[in-house]
Amino acid sequence: MVRVPPERFGEPLKETIEDILRRGYDYRGYTEGGYEGKLDKNLGVILAITKIIKIGEGKIVPGDGAVYHDVTFEALVFKPELHEVVEAEVVEVVNFGAFVRFGPLDGLIHVSQIMDDYIVYDKKREALIGKQTNRVLMPGDKVRARIVTISLNPDKKETKINLTMRQPGLGKLEWIEEEKKAMKEKAKEKVKAGGK
Amino acid sequence: MKLTRFEKARIIGARTLQLAMGAPPLIKVSKDMKDPMQIALKEFELGVIPITVRRRLPPKKEVGELL
Amino acid sequence: MAKKKMLSEKEKIMILEKEIKDRIPLSLYEELKDEVLKVDLTEDELKEVIKEVKKRYEFAIVEPGEAVGIVAAQSIGEPSTQMTMRTFHYAGVAELNVTLGLPRIIEIVDARKEPSTPMMTIYLEPEYAKDREKAKEIAKKLEMLTIGDIVERTEIDMIDSKVIFYLDKREMERREISVEDVVKKIKIKAEKEYDEDKIIVKAKEPSLRELRRVREKVLSTYIRGVKNIKRVVVRREGDEYVIYTEGSNLKDVLKMEGVDYTRTKTNDIHEIEKVFGIEAARNAIINEIIDTLEEQGLTVDIRHIMLVADMMTVDGEVKAIGRHGVSGEKASVLARAAFEITIDNLLKASVKGEVDELNGIIENVIVGKPIKLGTGMVELLMKKEYEQMRGA
Repeated sequence: MVRVPPERFGEPLKETIEDILRRGYDYRGYTEGGYEGKLDKNLGVILAITKIIKIGEGKIVPGDGAVYHDVTFEALVFKPELHEVVEAEVVEVVNFGAFVRFGPLDGLIHVSQIMDDYIVYDKKREALIGKQTNRVLMPGDKVRARIVTISLNPDKKETKINLTMRQPGLGKLEWIEEEKKAMKEKAKEKVKAGGK
Repeated sequence: MKLTRFEKARIIGARTLQLAMGAPPLIKVSKDMKDPMQIALKEFELGVIPITVRRRLPPKKEVGELL
Repeated sequence: MAKKKMLSEKEKIMILEKEIKDRIPLSLYEELKDEVLKVDLTEDELKEVIKEVKKRYEFAIVEPGEAVGIVAAQSIGEPSTQMTMRTFHYAGVAELNVTLGLPRIIEIVDARKEPSTPMMTIYLEPEYAKDREKAKEIAKKLEMLTIGDIVERTEIDMIDSKVIFYLDKREMERREISVEDVVKKIKIKAEKEYDEDKIIVKAKEPSLRELRRVREKVLSTYIRGVKNIKRVVVRREGDEYVIYTEGSNLKDVLKMEGVDYTRTKTNDIHEIEKVFGIEAARNAIINEIIDTLEEQGLTVDIRHIMLVADMMTVDGEVKAIGRHGVSGEKASVLARAAFEITIDNLLKASVKGEVDELNGIIENVIVGKPIKLGTGMVELLMKKEYEQMRGA
């Protein structure tokens, strides 16, 4: 349902509705429309209104000069799924874990879920360091992680997504490369050993 | 179609509100026509108000379900 | 000048059929036709008449959305306040005591099972209606007569265990009954003795209770007449005799010979419903209310009363206006609670888990939404083209 306010009656309807859907406008202290960037509990984050399919008849309700249209439209959304593997960028590191950003959403990787090692927090460098492996995780690092819990809320601050990197093939991209190399070496050695 | 007096009142009322809220008038408005109701009445007279009425027939009811 | 010519009957009907037949109700059309055929008219004049009829008819049509119920309530209620203020009573028709005024209206609207003063107006077939004696003959047959009506006093003789009925000779003479007739009607298996002015009935067992039982049984024995018809009055009305009765028994009276069953009526609406059906009951409600109001010198537009009668009879049975009828059967919980016994209604509804769809007027008044009535029931749609419409 889209409310078209009277002051926009002269304008082409489709464009007006598109604009209201995208940007919205202020009405009595609330924002009408403006869906782009909004988070919906069921749909996820609405990234873009791509196409208006149908504009229903314009209804006029008592006490309001505006016209209300039922509108069917297509939108591009980002909806995080449970167990989905995402690539993200570390934005902040604190003593209990790392905040990562993937697309329009932020998630947390808890210290316990970063790597198979004992981890210390380096306050100065704002980094988490593995004691034995000496692996370092800092803001700006690219990581690959799996989503383990999702709690979406229209208020983005209240939306909580937890991820893990303690599974094979997950972790900071460099670590994954190292693992790959190590695996290849091992395989080669095996081949050599087998050849003898 | 002949409008009932309720329909006429609602149409002019709704149109007045639209005009008051900034809808562009659909007739030539002279300087001394400042009252949105005056404009709405004039628009109604000229039959240019872009509002229609939907009339519904009463819902069909089963026997014994009247009232 | 052809237009100045008076129209023939055929021409008139032709014009009527073309101009107005499908626009107004058939009964109205027939009435108009009859009137038009009675007078000489030119074509222009007839068209003028038709125009006026159309105008008046359209003016009388109620617009959708009109609060007819409220208007009816007001239109009946306001004159009714006048009624309560008039305290003097009309004696009613011919010495018969009839409930009139507001109590009668309440009685009709409450759909009481029996009016407080049931009454019949019996018209007779022509051969009886014109003859006073014949009319009286029927009246005599109608009046319910029990032995109690002709007994002056009774005596219980405990010693011989018998009941003595002293007869009222004057009453018997007036009603033309002989002692033999009366005795024949006593069906109790007991020894009976009688003479000119008393009847003695012996009881089988010598107990006071038994004696009393015998007395009651004898006193309530029918001699003749129609059940429930207690008093009968014959009155001359115009050029015919009409019988008024206290008490009502439509079914049996209609079966009697000499009774004109097309005009005879009762004020017992439930009886009419039982004998003639719901449509007749609806008409009876309308007529009774109109008659009661008119008798008080009040005129209320018949359509208000028709609405009341319609509401009372739509379901196929006569229902009261009020919590036991129309209002009590409303689908909405809130509407019922708003009418009477609020807490009870709400409690029962919550126990049953009823859902209120908020479709009616009362519910929406309660929750503070716009009501679907008058301007509130108009649904407005903006024409799609308004996007192109710019200021002129």
